Amino acid sequence: MARPGAVIEVDRNTPPTLFHYGEGFRLERLPLGSRIVYPPDPIDPIGHPERAIRRALSNPLEDDPLKELLRPGMKLTIAFDDLSLPLPPMAAPDVRGLVIEEVVDAAARAGVEDVELIAAISLHRKMTADEIRHIVGDRVFTTFWPDRLYNHDAEDPSQNVLIGRTNQGEEVWLNRRASESDLVVYVNLTLVPMDGGHKSLATGLGCYRSVKAHHTVDTLLQSRSYMHPPDSALHASCVRQGELIEDAVRVFHIETSVNNHSFPAVANFLQKRETDWTTGDQAAFFALKQVTDLAPPDVKRAAFHSMLAPYGMTGVNAGQVDKVHDKTLENVRRQMMVPVEGQTDIVTLGVPYLGPYNVNSIMNPVLVVCTGLGYLFNLYKNKPVVREGGVVIIEHPCRYEFNAVHHPSYVDFYDEVLADTTDPHEIESRYEKRFAEDAWYRQMYQQSHAYHGVHPFYAWYWAAFTLQHCGDVIVVGGDRATVHRLGFKSATTLEDALEMAEQTVGRWPSITHLRTPPLMLCEVD
Amino acid sequence: MPAGTWYSGEWGISSLASRLLGVVADARLMRRGFHSGTPRPATWAERSTAVPDRPSDLAWARMEPVRSIRYGIQKGLSAPFAEVMTHPQIEGSEWVQQLDRPAILVANHSSHADTPLLLHALGDRVRERTVVAAAADYFYRRPWLGRVVSLWLNTFPFARSGGAQEVMHRSSVLLKSGWNLLVFPEGTRSPDGRLQPFKPGVGHLAVENRTPVIPMHVRGSQRVLPKGRNVPLPAPVRIRVGKPLSPGAGETSRDFADRVEQAVQALAKGSTSPELTGSWIERWKASDKRAPRPRARLGPEAPE
Repeated sequence: MARPGAVIEVDRNTPPTLFHYGEGFRLERLPLGSRIVYPPDPIDPIGHPERAIRRALSNPLEDDPLKELLRPGMKLTIAFDDLSLPLPPMAAPDVRGLVIEEVVDAAARAGVEDVELIAAISLHRKMTADEIRHIVGDRVFTTFWPDRLYNHDAEDPSQNVLIGRTNQGEEVWLNRRASESDLVVYVNLTLVPMDGGHKSLATGLGCYRSVKAHHTVDTLLQSRSYMHPPDSALHASCVRQGELIEDAVRVFHIETSVNNHSFPAVANFLQKRETDWTTGDQAAFFALKQVTDLAPPDVKRAAFHSMLAPYGMTGVNAGQVDKVHDKTLENVRRQMMVPVEGQTDIVTLGVPYLGPYNVNSIMNPVLVVCTGLGYLFNLYKNKPVVREGGVVIIEHPCRYEFNAVHHPSYVDFYDEVLADTTDPHEIESRYEKRFAEDAWYRQMYQQSHAYHGVHPFYAWYWAAFTLQHCGDVIVVGGDRATVHRLGFKSATTLEDALEMAEQTVGRWPSITHLRTPPLMLCEVD
Repeated sequence: MPAGTWYSGEWGISSLASRLLGVVADARLMRRGFHSGTPRPATWAERSTAVPDRPSDLAWARMEPVRSIRYGIQKGLSAPFAEVMTHPQIEGSEWVQQLDRPAILVANHSSHADTPLLLHALGDRVRERTVVAAAADYFYRRPWLGRVVSLWLNTFPFARSGGAQEVMHRSSVLLKSGWNLLVFPEGTRSPDGRLQPFKPGVGHLAVENRTPVIPMHVRGSQRVLPKGRNVPLPAPVRIRVGKPLSPGAGETSRDFADRVEQAVQALAKGSTSPELTGSWIERWKASDKRAPRPRARLGPEAPE
């Protein structure tokens, strides 16, 4: 039985607390009385994933068994989530690969000749051959790559078709191959509650015109939070789009969930609470810290990005999208939920080296905001951990560095847009369309491995609610000029940051530290 | 100057550098003097194509413990070297993984790097049962070289001129003994990387023995070790393996050789037609590691 998450109050005996700090770490002493929220330990994975997958395909939820849907002469499309999930990437075999192998096996037995596999990248960068191979596995890759296994292209007009409009007027576009298929099998991996469900297909195989229906500042401001789909306007929009797709295309949905075993054995101490660190863990941390303090960023990045997480599969369900997603969310909450009593004046968190949009890449300053204030801050249910008008303190080096191949539009967003304004509404109204329709960014997205031109805007919008909700954001240890460009305050130490925060929230503030990753979902009452 | 400092004396760095430069100078002199790595001077007499008096089929190279030693060399040295130097991209390897009887592996030839790369692409199980036809007048002209390549690559001498009957007989015996045969029907390395006409012997061998032929194509090896160079350079290599071809009823050896040549040409062009690479269902089933695989029918070892 895995140990549930916990909220610990800092006292004299509490060891220093680990803060992730980009490709490094900091140990901080939190003031007495502060709270530290720890995620639950990894729950036990399913012992025999392949068997569980076969069982799920044979006994789907409110749908026919997969083999009854397959017949010779049909057109079958298998779509799957891209590398933005899970984080860090899963050590081989990836559960998506296991599922795809079973689906392909069933198609081969049924004699389905016309099979294609599409990576549902939406507006993310196109994955490299090696990245796709890692997800689908060698056998699938060597059989289908590159003619029948490829990345979705959201900017090719010939490859996308308009399915229709929802009753709210949202356009619904879908990959042409999927729309013309007799059956679309979607293979998902859900890491956090915002993933999966109708969002998978509607977004993953959609294009800018369908994604922009819900990736707006207003929609995200109305999502409290988007990590809790029932209270999320973003997910409501995705459901409307997904239902329209279900009316037009036969969809067989498969979702998997994994536990939060996020670090390999060599960095196992990152998975543990500081109080559980053995002498060996302490020595390992000390050594790693010295190395990360001295090593150049490129070296550290290469080392960190080579780490793969030994996740275990905790659930697999197949069938009708809504029914499947309900079951998946149960599994995800079972792993992630931590009850937290009441809100707090100040929340502290360390932003790690990795977010959904910089796998095998650089976490640039815009992505620091997206990861820290967009995703990690919003890992709550009911209410944010910090009260309205409170302060968020994040720790990250915030260097001015970008990956020119993956994030070309991010560079211009930072240099041009953020130099003008950091207000999400203003950014949306004045700049989004130009970046989204820029021919050069489109070219980079289609021909290279670049994120779509509009992507930095969405990364910024994810943080819109945090920026509106909080009275101040302070970055500890960040490059001062970069932090100011982002519109935040810069502090050298956590003590300084807490002093500065008192200017906003008053003396003797309550402080809560979110010790994440591993990821967790704070259920605040 | 005091004796025994780090930079002087018999073992000082000056002396060591001098010795090293001496070795380099000698090597350069030999290399230039004997024109290794450059075309043979026109004024020199034609090189003899002499074949050893009694060409052995080198059965010792296919016996233990030589096989185990070769396995160690290929796994420990050749494979890592090939991976680092060429990052080989292998397509269609399932066709050789599912071999349930000996086959003739046919590939284009543009570099000495072809053989180790193709063997690497075959995987342990198939490579362990594959012999390579090596030009007798090139590799076996010097006995020590013949022994080295036989130990390393499991080659046997294949006469390119004269003694066709003998060569065909020896090849047939090897196929019947359960060995796969890797041959380069162009007969020699292509000077410019383009495919040269196939010699008909491969068709004859396949028709006579009713043996399937697996077409293979290597692209990029010429950049690794082009004709006339001795030092390999790093360059990406792609190896494509096609669906096995079998001689049709009534098909002549010449026609079958033409068909094999066309298959290799199509692989070179990147064709993915199901006739050449198989339908995905065929390839998927061929790559199924879970399915019971019929044991290779291995006959008795070839008589000496």
